[in-house]
Amino acid sequence: MRIAVTGGKGGTGKSIVSTALAFELSKKQKTLLMDLDVECPNDHLILSIKREKVKDIFQKIPKFDFSKCVKCGTCSKVCKENAIVFIEGQYPRFIPEQCTGCNACCIACPTKAISQTEKKIGEIYYGKGYGMDLVSGEMVIGYEEAGPVVNAVKEYVKKTEKGYKHIIIDTSAGTHCGVISALMGCELALCVTEPTPFGKHDLELILDLLNVLGIPAKIIINRSDIGDKKLIERISKKYKTEIIGEIPYKKSILDAYSKGVPVKEKEIENILRVLK
Amino acid sequence: MRVINILSGKGGTGKTMVSSSLLWTMSRKKRVVGIDCDVDAANLGMVLGVKITRRKEIETSEKAFLIEEKCTGCFKCVDVCNFSAIEKGDKKPVFNRFLCEGCGSCELVCPENAIEIKTVKNAWITEGASRYGFPVVSGQLKMGESGSGKIVTEVRRTGERVAKENKSEIMIIDSAAGISCPVIASVRNTDYVIAVSEPTPSGFNDLKRAIKLVEFFKIPCGLIINKFDINKELTRKIENFAKEKGISVLGRIPYHKDFVDAAVNLKPVVVYKKKYREIFENIAEKIYSWFE
Repeated sequence: MRIAVTGGKGGTGKSIVSTALAFELSKKQKTLLMDLDVECPNDHLILSIKREKVKDIFQKIPKFDFSKCVKCGTCSKVCKENAIVFIEGQYPRFIPEQCTGCNACCIACPTKAISQTEKKIGEIYYGKGYGMDLVSGEMVIGYEEAGPVVNAVKEYVKKTEKGYKHIIIDTSAGTHCGVISALMGCELALCVTEPTPFGKHDLELILDLLNVLGIPAKIIINRSDIGDKKLIERISKKYKTEIIGEIPYKKSILDAYSKGVPVKEKEIENILRVLK
Repeated sequence: MRVINILSGKGGTGKTMVSSSLLWTMSRKKRVVGIDCDVDAANLGMVLGVKITRRKEIETSEKAFLIEEKCTGCFKCVDVCNFSAIEKGDKKPVFNRFLCEGCGSCELVCPENAIEIKTVKNAWITEGASRYGFPVVSGQLKMGESGSGKIVTEVRRTGERVAKENKSEIMIIDSAAGISCPVIASVRNTDYVIAVSEPTPSGFNDLKRAIKLVEFFKIPCGLIINKFDINKELTRKIENFAKEKGISVLGRIPYHKDFVDAAVNLKPVVVYKKKYREIFENIAEKIYSWFE
């Protein structure tokens, strides 16, 4: 089964839940943990798994051959990311940081003065520990789009498919393209939240998104004993989405987290029992 | 006007708590404006009790739409899409609107002019006054839509106007978690960045990534360590890292249940409990003296 761990708000405990679930599942069946929080991947730190780089991720960018360029400015006109600056009478100027690699300039150029080359946008890492496999994506700093990096990691996993029984996908915070790309294709999403008005507000956003994407959802309340649990229970009722686990605030969890070992608590086992 | 950006890399380190408390603290001496650029999940307005006075729908996203009757099913569009947003259907291509970036490559390559790029209403921008008097501008991405970076740019443009109307001296921008397009758009062209970190391996790792981003844009930066007392050894390591990077430590905030209670009561912690005022007054003073 392909399960995403998400939640909307940052810092609610997505990575703790992802790593703990993967740890429990891998005891019995072949499990892959995919860290698709490519902006700030941390699952390897939480589990102290040493990762090795297995692949660079590239994105296409245009290459200009000015000997063919007639300074018409078409490339700049079709570029929606403002990555090509054109001033009348001059050759177009390319800003690689802004380019998302759509290739529209290359298609539109009337004199075929633009071909394609590549720039690096991320890296894929692989590691093993506690009987599970870990694949994580890491975006190059300063690059804008998390989505293509996430998709490249998913593609890599698809190609090197090792017959996993379970795949746990850890997403970033928020509801943007990187999160949407990570969620797509999942059979279930576990939304980790906290019992505060912020947790509640952002939980509603992610439940709305999952609804639009057609992915069934379940709720996990982290730090369930501090704050106001009723806030989340109301959302559970409103969205007819079951709360399948509550994890109280515990020093032992915080300790495991800061030491880099998986969190082993009965609450996590309970979540798996409910899921079965 | 001086523009301060609050970021962290890792989510949940306390960006909104710091933004709201710093806004309240600074508002006692200066004219301030708060901007919530976490358009994925905007929370700043909630904690500041903003009464919305203006609400505007914006279109900063474009998507491709198929004109069915013109399409002959040549599938050239499928091959050209670099975002995997077009799949071969039975007879005609199928467009996935969640993956479409609206780049227009498919429109350019379509021999039948059967593809149209249309703008999409993808966000709301709201303006209003907080219960403490100062103005706040927020953005909120619509569900399943894209273009967070461009929305942030639009939110900041509105923020600039509101700041001018209010003769604001200081603008505080609360960013999203992570370091991708919405954060980059929030950090660009600011005068000072405050990084909020926590002493956990993830907090430290993500701080390093966030600082690299700030260095990329060459913006001066200060650091606040939240929950510094949950792991004092790691706090020391973070402070050493800051020293190496020439980043000044603006303040340390302890871990206490008060912060959760303040959040549940939707109040900045400095309003909820007076004893935290000193921490933020000191942080504000350090920032003022930096600006001088």
